[in-house]
Amino acid sequence: MSSRKVVVALLVLLVVIIAVAAWFFLIRGVGAPTVVKIGKIDPANLPAKETLSSALFGAGDIPTLDPSLAEDTTSIQMGLELFVGLTRLNEETAQVEPGMATEWKVSDDGLVYTFTLRQGIPWVHYDREAGEVVVVKDEQGNPRYVTAHDFVYGVKRTLDPKTGSNYAYVNWIIKNAQAVNGGSELGDQDPLYGKVDEIGVRALDDYTIEYTLTQPASFFPGIASMWINWAQPKWLIEEKGDKWIEPENIQSYGPYVLGDWTHDVSATLVANPFWPGIDSVPKPSIKYIHFTMLDESPSFANYEAGLADVAGVPLTELDRVKADPVLSKELSINPEFCTYYYGFNVTKPPFDDVNVRKAFSWAVNRKAIVENVTKGGQEPARWFSRPGLTAAPDPAKGDDFGPPAEGDPVKAKEFLAASKYGGADKLPEITLMVNQVEGHVKIAEAIQQMWQETLGVKVNLVTQEWKVYLDTLDSDPPQVWRLGWCYDYADADNFARGVFRSDSGNNHTRWKNEKFDQLVDQAAVETDLQKRHDLYVQAEKILVEEDAAIIPIYWYTRVQVTKPYVTRTYGLGGHEAYEKWKINK
Amino acid sequence: MGIACEKETMGRYIARRLLWLLVVIFSVSVITFVIAHAVPGGPFSREKKLPPAVLKQLNEKYRLDDPLWKQYVEYMGGIFIPRLTSGEPSTSYLEDYLINIPLGEYTLRWMNFGPSYKSQSRTVNDVFRENLPVSAELGFYAFLVASVIGIPLGIVAALKQNTWVDYIAMGIAIFGVSVPVIVLGPVLIWLFAIRLPIFLPSGWGSWRAEVLPSIALGLGSSAIIARLTRASLLQVIREDYIRTARAKGLMERVVIIRHALRNSLIPVVTVMGPIFAFLVTGTFVTETIFGVPGMGRYFVTSITNRDYPVIMGTILLFAVVIVIANLIVDLLYAWLDPRIRYD
Repeated sequence: MSSRKVVVALLVLLVVIIAVAAWFFLIRGVGAPTVVKIGKIDPANLPAKETLSSALFGAGDIPTLDPSLAEDTTSIQMGLELFVGLTRLNEETAQVEPGMATEWKVSDDGLVYTFTLRQGIPWVHYDREAGEVVVVKDEQGNPRYVTAHDFVYGVKRTLDPKTGSNYAYVNWIIKNAQAVNGGSELGDQDPLYGKVDEIGVRALDDYTIEYTLTQPASFFPGIASMWINWAQPKWLIEEKGDKWIEPENIQSYGPYVLGDWTHDVSATLVANPFWPGIDSVPKPSIKYIHFTMLDESPSFANYEAGLADVAGVPLTELDRVKADPVLSKELSINPEFCTYYYGFNVTKPPFDDVNVRKAFSWAVNRKAIVENVTKGGQEPARWFSRPGLTAAPDPAKGDDFGPPAEGDPVKAKEFLAASKYGGADKLPEITLMVNQVEGHVKIAEAIQQMWQETLGVKVNLVTQEWKVYLDTLDSDPPQVWRLGWCYDYADADNFARGVFRSDSGNNHTRWKNEKFDQLVDQAAVETDLQKRHDLYVQAEKILVEEDAAIIPIYWYTRVQVTKPYVTRTYGLGGHEAYEKWKINK
Repeated sequence: MGIACEKETMGRYIARRLLWLLVVIFSVSVITFVIAHAVPGGPFSREKKLPPAVLKQLNEKYRLDDPLWKQYVEYMGGIFIPRLTSGEPSTSYLEDYLINIPLGEYTLRWMNFGPSYKSQSRTVNDVFRENLPVSAELGFYAFLVASVIGIPLGIVAALKQNTWVDYIAMGIAIFGVSVPVIVLGPVLIWLFAIRLPIFLPSGWGSWRAEVLPSIALGLGSSAIIARLTRASLLQVIREDYIRTARAKGLMERVVIIRHALRNSLIPVVTVMGPIFAFLVTGTFVTETIFGVPGMGRYFVTSITNRDYPVIMGTILLFAVVIVIANLIVDLLYAWLDPRIRYD
């Protein structure tokens, strides 16, 4: 072949290449790609360097991925990676940060909130067969971007009585929501019942959402971060019904997409290549997050065997972990937004007398309980709203009230002497009831002994199975009982007003205090953070000191071990922001 | 003639026993249903109280407001009455049929055991489809471990009665009975999955994950079988017909295997039936310790969660398996002891 022919051939080839390239670029257009190849996922063989294996879920399947129905930590944790609310709670500070909304405005009367939405964030789906993350298209073949309508649909679906959402009541603060949801006094006879279009939420345009509230609520941006208010894919839910959350169907838009969900075994998240990354929710660094659904002890065994990168520590192992030279360095004990407490039935003698209640509260040595009984690094609680919640009283801010951490036997005896009963021998028979769980019984026995030693009072300890116990608390609360409370939204409002306002369904004390109600109502609408904090201090003082309606016992902690090659943040509320974690292998 | 007649009697016997199965299922279902609903507390009572309206919506969705007899009839109807439907299967978790037979444009759907109230995206049929096979596999391996260790251990102990062999064999058996899985499991994990990483500490689907739970679960039962085999064989060896067999000059091995062992296995097989039923339907503790995604957990958590359809489904399944296991045991009797006849 002559060299000329070679040159011609090369020229022809070049022309062909240019033509093909031109066809691709000019005629088909260079729109944004709508498919990213990930490869098929084999949950048992994920690449170790790109995978974080988390053993922080407990045993049992993820109850649901439906934002309207989620109510447990596991479901919500999954949701936080798949969806992003208008706002996002910072997992370490519990402060409200912009999420899908770039900004929001409040009307002068505090009733109307207007959120402006981020643009160009598409709904995506992981196609397991093709191993690709695909942008969802509408009927015309255009990418579906998350719009205000999707958010409005989510709110309405949550409040629709047909959905049966357990958390819908948090949204009753939106205009007409309570009546639509069936929560008004008329129930399903209310003319608004089921009429979701009457709810005070609407899309002003594709990227603006307006909420109208029934009362000013400074914590509303926090509520806007909650799962019940996330955007939901109407087209998909209408087509697939209940099963829209299954891995073959689900569409989402957050930092991760659902790669695999083997029910009862594991779930795998894949970094969403279409998530642009924002300040509060960055583009994920770790490609795969693999969750195993195992009980605490096999989770921890997996961690020790090097098969999990992060796990909770079973209480029985904690002493060993603390003593172990390697494990002790990987251990972290962090606050969790929950409070463990005993309540009094203030209508039953002798606890109808505030001095008896105070005597019983001051006789409890909380420090001894967390150090010798629970041993999980919990903090002795002196009031109900756990420090770290927005506006909650905080010892770090110098708040100092309530029963002392070590108790005060001298004062306890004085209180009992000052009561109308005068002394231990004149008290009626007293029953303390807890649900039948070993940990609760141990604590109850320790407290029983403290009351015996300090006050000379013999208290009967009765246990009941959990659901029976809940029925008892509802129908006829015993003289003293146990419960815990964990946050829904990280604000003192969720604790003080949510549990102990006199009309709260969660208040089993039968204690009512008008001044307390006024203070927590006022704190709910106040916008100045310092003023809100001061109001909660006053309210809590009434709850745990003046009226001593409850005995705060401890504030929860989360005890975990993390491999040293993982850089991570520590979620306060039991939820982790995996999109911020890194693996340095 | 004789053989055909015998076969017919056997067939009728099995048919009669299977009819009794229906009676058992009916009785078990009524008792379970009544007790489950009689216990205080419901599936939706919880620490954070649901507003009455939401509770009402949930009760309506799952028809928990209906009178109890109606709920029972509907639930059992969902299981036993086949439905002929056309079109796509329902997208609701409330309708999930175990058996779907396509008949042209229609589909015959049968056996809807209902949804799970707790795991909202699961149905009882999902548990049967996905968790039951895992439990059955684990149970089967454990049963193999139990038999393979238990029976030879019992035989050896009986034949060498009151020698060191007997003491060691029975020592192992007593160890197996008295060390529960809750102790043995973590020890095995620590030794063979963490210290010496031969096996996996949890999971299912690869032999590395399956060995430890099978051993842990099987060992307890093997001890029961070993002790029973020993006691029974010791008794049979003293029988006249064994002496006769020996007197005929048969080899000791033939005497033991052909004559003594077969007869001595009758009590052993009697307990192996229920043991098998227990093992294959899931074991809570073993599955929890070894992170095996079986259905043992559902037996326990369904009750604490008042997850009525799951309670009903798991108990009915257990009833069916135990009846069938006992039937197989009864049929094995005839093979083991020709004197036993069914008519």
